[in-house]
Amino acid sequence: MESLYILIPLSVALIGGVLWLLWWSVGSGQFDDLEGPGHRVLMDDDRPVPAPPPDDLR
Amino acid sequence: MQETYNYKVVRQFAVMSVVWGIVGMAMGVFIAAQLVWPDMTYGIEWMSYGRLRPLHTNTVIFAFGGCALFASSYYIVQRTCHTRIFSDSLAAFTFWGWQAVIVAAAITLPQGITSGKEYAELEWPIDILIAVVWISYAVVFFGTLVKRKTPHIYVANWFFGAFILTVALLHIVQSMAMPAGLFKSYSAYAGVQDAMIQWWYGHNAVGFFLTAGFLGMMYYFVPKQANRPIYSYRLSVVHFWGLIFTYMWAGPHHLHYTALPDWTQSLGMVFSLILLAPSWGGMVNGIMTLSGAWDKLRTDPILKFLVTSLSFYGMSTFEGPMMAIKTVNALSHYTDWTVGHVHSGALGWVAMISIGALYYLIPRMFGREAMWSVRLINVHFWLATIGVVLYIAAMWIAGVAEGLMWRATNADGTLTYSFAEAVKATYPFLFIRFMGGVLYVTGMLLMAYNVFRTATAGDARVYNDAPIPATLAHA
Amino acid sequence: MTDLNSCYHCGLPVPAGERLAVRIGGALRPMCCRGCQAVAQAIADAGMEAYYTQRTALPGGRAEPVPDLAELAVYDSPALQAGFLDAPPADGDGAPCEVNLMLEGVTCAACLWLNERHLAAQPGVLAVEVNFSIHRAKVRWDPARTQLSRLLRAVAAIGYRAHPFDARRRDALMQRERRTALWRFLVAGLSSMQVMMYAVPVYLATEGDMTAGDENLIRWASLALTLPAIFYSSAHFFRNAVRDLRLRRLGMDVPVALGIAVAFAASVWATVAGTGEVYFDSVTMFVFLLLGGRYLELRVRQRATDAVDRLSAVVPAVAERLPEWPASRRAEAVAVASLAVGDVLSVAPGAVVPADGVVVEGDSAADESLLTGESLPVPKAAGATVTGGSINLQSPLLLRVTRIGAETTVQAIVRLLDRAMSEKPRGVMDADRVAGRFVALVLVAAALTVAAWLWLEPARAVWVAVSVLVVTCPCALALATPAALTAATTRLARQGVLVTRGHALETLARVTDVVFDKTGTLTRGRLRLLQVLPHAGVAAADCHRLAAALEQGSRHPVALALLAGADAAGGPLPLAEARHLTGRGVEGSAGGLVLRLGAADWLADGWCAAPVPSDLPAGGAGRVVVHLASRQSWLASFVMEDELRPDAAAAVEALQAAGCRVHLLSGDQASAVDAVADRLGIVERVARASPASKLEYVQHIQGRPGPDRGHPRCVLMVGDGVNDAPVLAAADVSLAVASASDVAGASADGLLLSGRLIDIALALQRARMTQRIIRQNLVWAMLYNAAAIPLAAAGLVSPWLAGLGMAGSSLLVVGNALRLSR
Repeated sequence: MESLYILIPLSVALIGGVLWLLWWSVGSGQFDDLEGPGHRVLMDDDRPVPAPPPDDLR
Repeated sequence: MQETYNYKVVRQFAVMSVVWGIVGMAMGVFIAAQLVWPDMTYGIEWMSYGRLRPLHTNTVIFAFGGCALFASSYYIVQRTCHTRIFSDSLAAFTFWGWQAVIVAAAITLPQGITSGKEYAELEWPIDILIAVVWISYAVVFFGTLVKRKTPHIYVANWFFGAFILTVALLHIVQSMAMPAGLFKSYSAYAGVQDAMIQWWYGHNAVGFFLTAGFLGMMYYFVPKQANRPIYSYRLSVVHFWGLIFTYMWAGPHHLHYTALPDWTQSLGMVFSLILLAPSWGGMVNGIMTLSGAWDKLRTDPILKFLVTSLSFYGMSTFEGPMMAIKTVNALSHYTDWTVGHVHSGALGWVAMISIGALYYLIPRMFGREAMWSVRLINVHFWLATIGVVLYIAAMWIAGVAEGLMWRATNADGTLTYSFAEAVKATYPFLFIRFMGGVLYVTGMLLMAYNVFRTATAGDARVYNDAPIPATLAHA
Repeated sequence: MTDLNSCYHCGLPVPAGERLAVRIGGALRPMCCRGCQAVAQAIADAGMEAYYTQRTALPGGRAEPVPDLAELAVYDSPALQAGFLDAPPADGDGAPCEVNLMLEGVTCAACLWLNERHLAAQPGVLAVEVNFSIHRAKVRWDPARTQLSRLLRAVAAIGYRAHPFDARRRDALMQRERRTALWRFLVAGLSSMQVMMYAVPVYLATEGDMTAGDENLIRWASLALTLPAIFYSSAHFFRNAVRDLRLRRLGMDVPVALGIAVAFAASVWATVAGTGEVYFDSVTMFVFLLLGGRYLELRVRQRATDAVDRLSAVVPAVAERLPEWPASRRAEAVAVASLAVGDVLSVAPGAVVPADGVVVEGDSAADESLLTGESLPVPKAAGATVTGGSINLQSPLLLRVTRIGAETTVQAIVRLLDRAMSEKPRGVMDADRVAGRFVALVLVAAALTVAAWLWLEPARAVWVAVSVLVVTCPCALALATPAALTAATTRLARQGVLVTRGHALETLARVTDVVFDKTGTLTRGRLRLLQVLPHAGVAAADCHRLAAALEQGSRHPVALALLAGADAAGGPLPLAEARHLTGRGVEGSAGGLVLRLGAADWLADGWCAAPVPSDLPAGGAGRVVVHLASRQSWLASFVMEDELRPDAAAAVEALQAAGCRVHLLSGDQASAVDAVADRLGIVERVARASPASKLEYVQHIQGRPGPDRGHPRCVLMVGDGVNDAPVLAAADVSLAVASASDVAGASADGLLLSGRLIDIALALQRARMTQRIIRQNLVWAMLYNAAAIPLAAAGLVSPWLAGLGMAGSSLLVVGNALRLSR
């Protein structure tokens, strides 16, 4: 299984990448408030703006 | 000047997703018909099953699913980061580039130009185009994340981010090949290594293209359409990391009972079973979002699509690990059961969540309050659901029958049934499967009509980009 | 929401005849009062109507009037801002300022969103970040374009209150602590999962399936990935263990560190030497599980601290000073922190007295219940001393400051409390006691194993001993107690009982005596009108309207009780004039009559021509009676009573049923105490108790032997006043009814955020269950080890079995603990 000699070092390196990502997430406060984001998404009102009257358009 | 969200590219991808959905699924119905009536296109090479089947898979996965993913990820990343997309021109390039890839596939595959790798049949020049488009996609998406106006990155974006990065890596590693002319190449890997790379790719393509990306959709559209916060945001973050940690390792289960070392196969089996935990965590999280508001399901067909898709997700992520158990796999592998499993995931989960998301997006993209007809959405929902159920029930029965007939032996050790007998036994179910497909495509046609009426229902001048509320722009 | 009879904003009934409305979501919505109308209008104007469709809870009550900008202007003073600004404005450099605001009046997530959007929309605001879990906003603004006062007013305009507070030091500390713990946990998690992925194939491979080279490669990769889990994630286990050993004691960290160190060292040796077994997967999983438990514990603890912060942050920060008094009455708002002894302050009716002082002018009454437990107002005239923290009730007072800052009465009580708290003996955790014996046992077992195997088969001796040490890794033991405590604490918090001290649950389970403080604990601390007794044939409702007219605008408890029911009687009559005479009552004219409302002797004292009616009801026994008379005749008597909390009787009964003796200690009059105690069936009661005598009483109970032989009686104190604080601290365990005072909340071991007394009984029951589960967990962990050690010593435990056993026993312990969270 020669492929193991590539796959295993590769996975160790990959873990390094994931570790960096986790470190960044913790440091930048991604996990500080794990309730708010769920609500904040709902508050973004994305209903379409009603059509303006014809002479109102640029 | 008022800052706006780029809706144009989202609109383009959303509409094309519907178009390619119909094309790809119709193709599926066509080849399903060929299995029922084998002589249908006898002698016409480019219409043969072997040529059209890869075109079917490529169109539904990469054209229909891909466009839906592009549309929703561009929409979600803008709306949750409160900022316009990173580069309008690069985003436009991803749209036209991706359409070019699909058209190229539609031209080359029926002519038999293929690299012969499952879900990666396209030849090397198209592979290079895919890589360029995909890297541009990554630049646009992550560029938008970088210029976000919110400190937090919403969980859907994490799923999309993982999907984009992993697919880039998978595609590049899998497509490594030595060209031998414009339409021919040889894989960089050989023998069992090639098989292992193929199924590392094949499995993770399912895991990240058909799961992570669509989970990103789920985590945005389910709460938005239900107008309730996700059941547990904390759980969704755990879900993300759990999936990342475990998915990568489950690939070898596609190669049970092959030349792969036994322990590698066992590893694939163990991690397939572990995978059940994050998958079901995600499903429960999505469905429980509706707890206390189940009545909305009665009246809102878009929500019906989204929630039903989650049920199918739960079902197929349960079925999958079961089929990864070696003894079960011994029965199911190479039978129609596998086909049924794939389609319960593809039609039940991927397509239904995309359809729900598209029904959410399209009125907004065309500046309308709602789709032209909500009743038509409801009809579409029932057609799709009955279609999927017919499809997977038929395939399940056919698959188990095949598996049992193939392995049945007489007392003297000879096979009880010939292969043709097993084929004959599945014949009625192949027809039922065809009917299920017809229902599903019919639903898609209704959707296309509904989209057309929505787009043309009034003033075309409101196809504008949506303004970013000032309070968000500088917050 | 289409209900026309309830206010669209606050959900309270719209008074008959009120015609206020606001256009929201394209329709006119009814409003109950001007306050709600203004708030709803502000929300609609700002385009945030989504709030009404998104909210899941109504506001706590009618919206209060929006304070004046001038009133808030004091928050812009640099002296005050120095107290809480992260970046106080330096002159003219235009650098942005940043402040932490505690948001009050938040009832659901939509409220937070509303605040966030509204603040962000204010001109000059650069950034707003609202933390949804702790209801705080961090705001950064450009001092050249706006002021803090405008931001506070903006929050008030949409119906909330924002309190600036100093979060710099502690918040930063807590955040760092939290992030470090999370990071440690994640590193261990990632490491353990990946190492497990390498380990599983080795376990799965059958003999000859995997080449030696492959296995060696996997071992080295596992070693590499284990390093961060050992040298980063577990570093503090080692540090604590070394500290424990230096102090010659054996805490839980010693066996933990020993387990990790031995398993890791042996695995490294095995990898380097190419012999023996590796335990990388067991070690990393062990660290991962332990850190997970510790992280959850930390979160529970921090959340409790946050809640206490909220209570203590609501103190007056601003005072109104008359710098030129008596020459001029020009007032200026200043920060309380900048007051000096001798300053003259003006205290408006309804305001909290900002410092200790002596009244120089004015005639009013103060509510000192917070400080003394006295539930009825205390008259304050010129020369009387006033205590900071009490509430001025009737008319404006001018007072000269006598004590400030650390010397005020409130601060003295806080210091007393600090001392009492530091003297409280802390129970030693069961697990720690067990740990010491456990280490000794394991070491002896390992030594015996080595000795035995040296004699049997020397080559295996070391590896068998290692497997003994690994298999006894005290994961289940270390998780047994914290998992149960965390689960129970979280569960109680969900119910509105917030446990703020580690020992509280343990002690609650042993409670034999529950001591209540009457004021505001068993009663609501406010009067309720029971009866209107008209004399001389006047209609009761008319008398009520007259009385209400006199009391309009007053915040005296009697006035509030009379006004509360006045709407039903037809609303107060228009008032011509009124004069409050402290300790006596009100004199004024309404409905064309000159009237007095107050004590009987004051009315009879040569003022009212008619003789005193023979059937005048008497006060006492918790009842307050006031009378209404004109110059010519006695009109009516009003009987009022301090209202019991609705669930007080049920709570007392439940506690008695649980085998606790219930006591009532109060600073009130004997008659009032008896009235309450009799109604609730409490036998043991003490009236007119001073803080010192309360302390004595509690210590007296604690000195007596309890029902459980060998254990003295254990006291749970339930209180709410600041004067309770020393008693709360002296009791074995204490709960504070949180709607009341700040300091008591901070000193108690738990807070009753729900305000439901019945939750005390539930908390007691939950605490007892917790102790039961902890005992079960410890027994299980012991049984596991008792079974595992002989097996391991016999050389029968392979690495995968050790890992499985550890994970299994830990999960069992955690699962058992999770029963508490149901």
